[in-house]
Amino acid sequence: MKSRLFSLAIYMSATISGMLVLLYPFFLPAVQQTGFGTLRLEQMPMMMTLLLGLCLLVLLFEAQGPMVNTKLIALLGILVAINSALRFIETAIPGPGGFTPIFFLIILVGYVFGGRVGFLMGALTLLVSALVTGGVGPWLPAQMFTAGWVGMSTPLLHPIGKAFIARQAKRTSAKFNPEILLLAFFGLLWGFLYGAIMNLWQWPFIAGPRNQSYAAGLGLIETLQRYLAYYLVTSLVWDAIAATGNVLLMLTFGKPALRALRRFRQRFEFNYTPEPPDATKQQGGSITG
Amino acid sequence: MKQPWAWVGWLVTILVILSITRNPLYLILILMCVLFVGITLRQAGADIPNPISLWKLAGWIIVLATVFNALTSHYGAMVLFTIPGKLPLISGRVTVEALVYGATNGLVLTGMLASFTVLNLALPVRDLISLIPRAFFPMAVVTSISVTYLPTTIRQFQQIREAQAVRGHQMRTLRDWLPLLIPLLVGGLEHAMQLAEAMTARGFASTRQVSGKRQVYPRICMFLGLLLLALGWIAQLSGAGVNGLVIIFSGALLILGGLWYLGRQSPRTTYHRREWGWQDWLILVVAAIVLSVCLLPLPGLNQQSLYYEPYPTLTLPSFSPWLGLAMLALLIPGLLVWYKNANE
Repeated sequence: MKSRLFSLAIYMSATISGMLVLLYPFFLPAVQQTGFGTLRLEQMPMMMTLLLGLCLLVLLFEAQGPMVNTKLIALLGILVAINSALRFIETAIPGPGGFTPIFFLIILVGYVFGGRVGFLMGALTLLVSALVTGGVGPWLPAQMFTAGWVGMSTPLLHPIGKAFIARQAKRTSAKFNPEILLLAFFGLLWGFLYGAIMNLWQWPFIAGPRNQSYAAGLGLIETLQRYLAYYLVTSLVWDAIAATGNVLLMLTFGKPALRALRRFRQRFEFNYTPEPPDATKQQGGSITG
Repeated sequence: MKQPWAWVGWLVTILVILSITRNPLYLILILMCVLFVGITLRQAGADIPNPISLWKLAGWIIVLATVFNALTSHYGAMVLFTIPGKLPLISGRVTVEALVYGATNGLVLTGMLASFTVLNLALPVRDLISLIPRAFFPMAVVTSISVTYLPTTIRQFQQIREAQAVRGHQMRTLRDWLPLLIPLLVGGLEHAMQLAEAMTARGFASTRQVSGKRQVYPRICMFLGLLLLALGWIAQLSGAGVNGLVIIFSGALLILGGLWYLGRQSPRTTYHRREWGWQDWLILVVAAIVLSVCLLPLPGLNQQSLYYEPYPTLTLPSFSPWLGLAMLALLIPGLLVWYKNANE
């Protein structure tokens, strides 16, 4: 219990620190910062990358904690490969706007296998696909972090999902599976959120019209208004295509993919029990799965 | 010159300079160095599957960044022309200063992209994976499996597509992808099952599990490190007189120290370890010197020339020959590769 609480504290602090790093434009005061040990505006992207990278390292370490397990490692390895292949195909034949097929599987894996696996699935998909497409860059920690959040936040749907399943059991003739609708809505939400979070990485450094560009010390409300205006003008259409793509993929492939993942989760849930000490001595060690 | 950490040192130096300077003269110099190293590596036979040509991409980035900034940022003294009307974002003055600022941003982005492309050219994926710290060995295994299985996945996808085509399956709507994607997913999961059994049979993860204080203390360090990172960041942003960078640095040390200690508990053997050659040391030393010249307050270097700003009135950027000379040293990896090619 103590270990779980401690783990939760680490998760929370890494997530909050990461959010603080990304959301700094909203609470940066208009204080003139000078002297050694303070940062210029040009140095901020590098600093953000470093800090996000450190938060990501802690989150990844904590998430991989119970993963010294061959089944989970093999499962994640293969699922990440499938998702990276989809991203590889999408990079070679770009879809419209911000359409990308990777979030479909990240959401489903997080929903079926839990937040930790979802986080690793999101972060590692971005890492592996960046490695194979030559897309490693300073933007990678922020991408891994955000994609990880997509997978990690999916279990939040479980209470609502269970209610939907219970209701569906009574109405078997429903045309759409309510659980899939819920996941599609989640995909829609993250389609916009992913773009909005990734925009924060560059927004403070882009010069633009006064009502859309960043200026230090404006206060939370005005900064939010300006960011919203910038987002509406530059990213809304792009992200709307990404979000619509997530919804379409979920509605089209969600049901059979969810069924397949659940079936395999049951198959992956078996455990090897260690042999008794006497037998272990004779055979030179036990095997844990 | 195959030591991954030497290349990482070179890359970090480039990125740090790109992140602190907006002087187009230095940016062009850095970009030339990166391109020279990339060209020598390509001549040496290195290649990566790039969906788009880097030259084309670099051209597009610079043009787009210039045009975007010129059309959306209406500041500056030297007005080229004015876009009439009330078009949101676009209407207003188009200035030379905005063009220069946009082109500078494009150069920075191109430099970052090119330097990472060079890293991908210089190091095979196996070496990139070997950079993953020991504390993350389960993740390194996952990454290795994914990278190894990726070509198989693409091949499997093509096989499924051909099999479906033979059956008369046509791709017209999104729903027609269902008979392709679901077999790919199920086939992958079956493969994962077999792989897990094979790994267990070979004794993977059968090593002694470390528990107790040796696991708890480093995690406490990481937790405290995270708190310090957050506090340091807030102090840095608030400009409250506290040196935020020192707090951030302490937090980073705690996190990295914790990870290092945890990594020591996971013994790892390496097949064919990369040796440190004199060239690797040379690159690291050069990177350290260039970084020191650019970052430390050394006399007679005119480091202010790094911080160029075209707004509000365009001026010629200043140039420090010593800084330029130091940056030229980043050519050394390319020269070493070129020298090696010439001798072979």
